[in-house]
Amino acid sequence: MTESIGNKQLLTVNSRTSGCSAKISAAELNAILSDLPKPICKELIAGITNFEDAAVYKISEELAIVQTIDFFPPILSDPFLFGQVAANNALSDIYAMGAKPIFALNVLSFPTCDYPLDTVKSILKGGLDQMGKAGAILAGGHSIQTPEILYGLAVTGLINPRKVLTNGGARPGDSLLITKPIGTGIALIGLKAESLSAKGQKVLMEVLTTLNDGLLPHLERFPIHAGTDVTGYGLAGHLHEMAKASGLACKLNFSKVPLIPEVSQLANEGLVPAAAYGNRNSFQKWVSFKEGIELAHEDLCFDPQTAGGFLLAVENEKAEECCAALSKTSMTAAIIGSFEEGQAGYVEVYP
Amino acid sequence: MSDDHNVTVDLRGLVCPEPVIRTKKIFENNLIERVEALVDDEVNVQNLSRLARSIKVGFQTKPDGKYHRVVLERSSGGLQPENIVETQPQTSTIKEERNSTVVLITKNTFGEGDQEFSEHLLNIFLQTMYDSGHRPRSILMANTGVKLMGPNSPFAKVLDDFQKAGCDVLACGLCVEYYGLKEIVPKEQITNMFAICEYLDAAGKVITP
Repeated sequence: MTESIGNKQLLTVNSRTSGCSAKISAAELNAILSDLPKPICKELIAGITNFEDAAVYKISEELAIVQTIDFFPPILSDPFLFGQVAANNALSDIYAMGAKPIFALNVLSFPTCDYPLDTVKSILKGGLDQMGKAGAILAGGHSIQTPEILYGLAVTGLINPRKVLTNGGARPGDSLLITKPIGTGIALIGLKAESLSAKGQKVLMEVLTTLNDGLLPHLERFPIHAGTDVTGYGLAGHLHEMAKASGLACKLNFSKVPLIPEVSQLANEGLVPAAAYGNRNSFQKWVSFKEGIELAHEDLCFDPQTAGGFLLAVENEKAEECCAALSKTSMTAAIIGSFEEGQAGYVEVYP
Repeated sequence: MSDDHNVTVDLRGLVCPEPVIRTKKIFENNLIERVEALVDDEVNVQNLSRLARSIKVGFQTKPDGKYHRVVLERSSGGLQPENIVETQPQTSTIKEERNSTVVLITKNTFGEGDQEFSEHLLNIFLQTMYDSGHRPRSILMANTGVKLMGPNSPFAKVLDDFQKAGCDVLACGLCVEYYGLKEIVPKEQITNMFAICEYLDAAGKVITP
């Protein structure tokens, strides 16, 4: 059964979660994966071990393939936009390894009895549009009937194996950079609650649909030691993963973190996605909030991001210059903290 | 029980953000003094506590079977949001000055011997540790060690003392489930093998009685 407004069925009506909020929590995933054997293969240079964004398999000294898959239920009621965002989120995992996407396969489950076929066409068109922007081609896909809509991509990219950007590799003293504002999970709940202003919506849509390819031109020019994109585990969760994989602690200055307008207010009012609480449960052991951090700011640190920006560890002396360069090719760029010697994986959040 | 000033609502089955939006809308009517809501899970409780804080009304919650009953009240009498301990996360998981010792308890006895005596001995060990001022970073319980948990356990007081002193007192979830203690061990004290590995790896010293 599908709720409808006039003739237009709401895509999001059956979604109990949205975007990266739909992820199984890190704690649950660890419990699921802990007993399974880990692959041992010297060609696999990035994979499950450090919760990398994508798998990287070395073909030769000069070439590696990068592979990722990402899909989720509708986060927006506009099918074209949902297709764009789902594709963007999947493509981002390829960029997060420093690679360039070359082709993708659609992953689709759709109840053709509940929605007109034009709806699914629009979703796929949105996905194609985003792949076009990325210069990747659609090479096929797989579709099944399910009660809930799901869409995303399996993406393949290429990279020189010596230039892979991983969660690990940050060095003591490195500056921490971010390339998009934070708060998509809370803003999407705000949108659903009709509490997000036109200005807030505009920034939210820009975050969701801007490609993360703005990093690639700078990888060679600047000493970028580690990187990831901010997605389901939220800012604090992904910083923990980076810090842990690098054997360092991380200091975050919350006041420097760019935010989507109104998200602090929305969090204050209790418009916080369930997955933010899941992230809090999974990661709070590794996060210490210093005096002066409000509850809404804590929620924002745990807020699951969809198609979020990059977190980069950049050599301190070059950080300002790198930030200026990134701000020209990305949605925004800001230095928001640093990596330091300390207990590996710990994140300290200062006001 | 609803009248001009009091409203009771059943918000079960509603998907986020609907419970918050509906409760907020009810309070937009200035005549409403008190809203009692039945919600599905902890997430709704947490979100309604944030709403209560932002619209400056009192907040109380208690479990109701598998659901939660939440009361938001305009006038005093309700617990003020500032006092809600459960919405405050642990703010001091890392303290440089804190001891980095971890106590790993993998059975409910201190050594092997008469069962009852060995259990008693373990209790004496923990009590002595506490009384002599040792404050480990965490006490981790696994296998039959998880039997120390629960409000009616003879270990309840000493474990509670350690926790109040800032020590993380945690039990292995798999073990809790295996020994059928899921109902009596608080959710926030359940952990997994991943976290146990992290604690042990970061520990300066591990004591296993």
